[in-house]
Amino acid sequence: MFKKIALIVLAATLAFSFTICPLQAEAKEVVITFATDATWPPMEFVDANKNIVGFSIDYMTAAGKEAGFTPKFMAVAWDGIFAGLDVTKYDAISSSVSITEERKKVMDFSEPYFQVRQALIVEKDSTVKDLKELVGKKVGSQISTTGTFAVKAVDGVISKTYDEVGLAIEDLYNGRIAAVVCDDPVAANYALQNDKYKSALKISAVIEGGEAEYYGIAVKKGNQEVLDLINKGIQAVKAKGLDKEFQKKWIGQ
Amino acid sequence: MKKHPGLFLHGGFMAKNVSQKKVDIDIGDGAAIPTKDDKGLVSAWRLSFIGAVAAFLYLIIFHQEPYLRIVKFIPDGVLVTFEVTFASISLALVIGLITGLGRISSNKYINLVASTYVEVVRGIPLLVQLFYLYYALGQFVLVPDILAAILAMSFCYGAYMGEVFRAGIEAIDPGQSEASMSLGFNSRQTMFYVILPQALRTILPPVGNEFIALLKDTSLVSILAVSDLLRRGREFASESFMYFETYTMIAIVYLIITLILSKLVGMMEERMGSYGQR
Repeated sequence: MFKKIALIVLAATLAFSFTICPLQAEAKEVVITFATDATWPPMEFVDANKNIVGFSIDYMTAAGKEAGFTPKFMAVAWDGIFAGLDVTKYDAISSSVSITEERKKVMDFSEPYFQVRQALIVEKDSTVKDLKELVGKKVGSQISTTGTFAVKAVDGVISKTYDEVGLAIEDLYNGRIAAVVCDDPVAANYALQNDKYKSALKISAVIEGGEAEYYGIAVKKGNQEVLDLINKGIQAVKAKGLDKEFQKKWIGQ
Repeated sequence: MKKHPGLFLHGGFMAKNVSQKKVDIDIGDGAAIPTKDDKGLVSAWRLSFIGAVAAFLYLIIFHQEPYLRIVKFIPDGVLVTFEVTFASISLALVIGLITGLGRISSNKYINLVASTYVEVVRGIPLLVQLFYLYYALGQFVLVPDILAAILAMSFCYGAYMGEVFRAGIEAIDPGQSEASMSLGFNSRQTMFYVILPQALRTILPPVGNEFIALLKDTSLVSILAVSDLLRRGREFASESFMYFETYTMIAIVYLIITLILSKLVGMMEERMGSYGQR
């Protein structure tokens, strides 16, 4: 009997200590929690050591150093990432969020820190050069990204949305869909650098959607304090030319 | 009352046993089935159903924006949900029957195969199975997304169904097969003409229950980029940023569907129960 009780107590203590671990004492300095959907290489992704790394991670870390805040990154699934901002589960989103008019209505954006365009990825032997050629075919993208918006903008193309862009790429690779639309650095990472995909896929076109898109850091509407800090950091990073360094490191152009 | 297909052997020496045997197969994750014996659940069913329908109507009539827009966005998702559910349950029934027969087979190899299948499938979360069948199989054979979802769902539920069939068959009094054999039926005839038709009575309610559980579990296929009810909702929510409103509506729609189905299953259960037992 005693053994049983001792075991239960031991198990309970262990379980308790595991749960309490992440709740460390709060630091004195300003900590800004960034939500990031770390499935968007090379901008933000999880490396072999399970760390969240990437261009925007380096960028925000440097911005924090310049503006005097400590960034803390939190992995959050894309689908629902904006909802978490609304209920202040985190202070900001640094997850390659393109600044759009619709999004601006419900959240505030920092100044742009990166420019992207939408790229069309197809199989290597495909001759498709434009989304319009894919009428009646399935085109994949990550759910409610600007890639999805680009697909939906073309009448007759069947939009298929995925939780992660990687799953869309895999489905393209397996031949279930005809193309994938996503941000060009991500497209380049999959179609040009990834060992598995680079021999099978290619970027056939960059979709001209009129204006270029810019990534911004999203904060809850009216959270001026955090926004000012982030903007200060971004400006300093740009002034020092650090962004060019990160671009070279992660994107290579 | 509907007459049962197949034979029901009335032998004086066994009738007592048959009528006394109370078989109850309870499977975990279905809906709560309202039956006459359970008064609390019946009123709970009424309350939830009226509540859900009232909430649904209230929202789409008095808060047309955005609820009406959401309701107009999801019908094809509901259709896909039903498609996946019906196709999967049909396939799962076939797999389940084969597995159930395999599980009670006296041939030790067939028995081992069937038992291993059940063991393996029950040990893997459905979500993982879905991912596995969709992406892993994609390397070798190309199946369209909805078919992949249906295959994965029926592969998983086939194992559960197998257990239902096994339990149902084993619950039939051994006297039934003894009597059948003594009448000159061989073991195959005994199974298909005597045992299975009777087992159906105990099997059907849990099958109905599994059907509802499966319908709820189809929400998992939304990760496979299958445009079911949940995925339509997620698409709507993440583009309009109206998460609360959208998921409220999605939950209500699921609830209404499940409540209607659980009522139907409850009615079926009562009919089945009244046959030959009272």
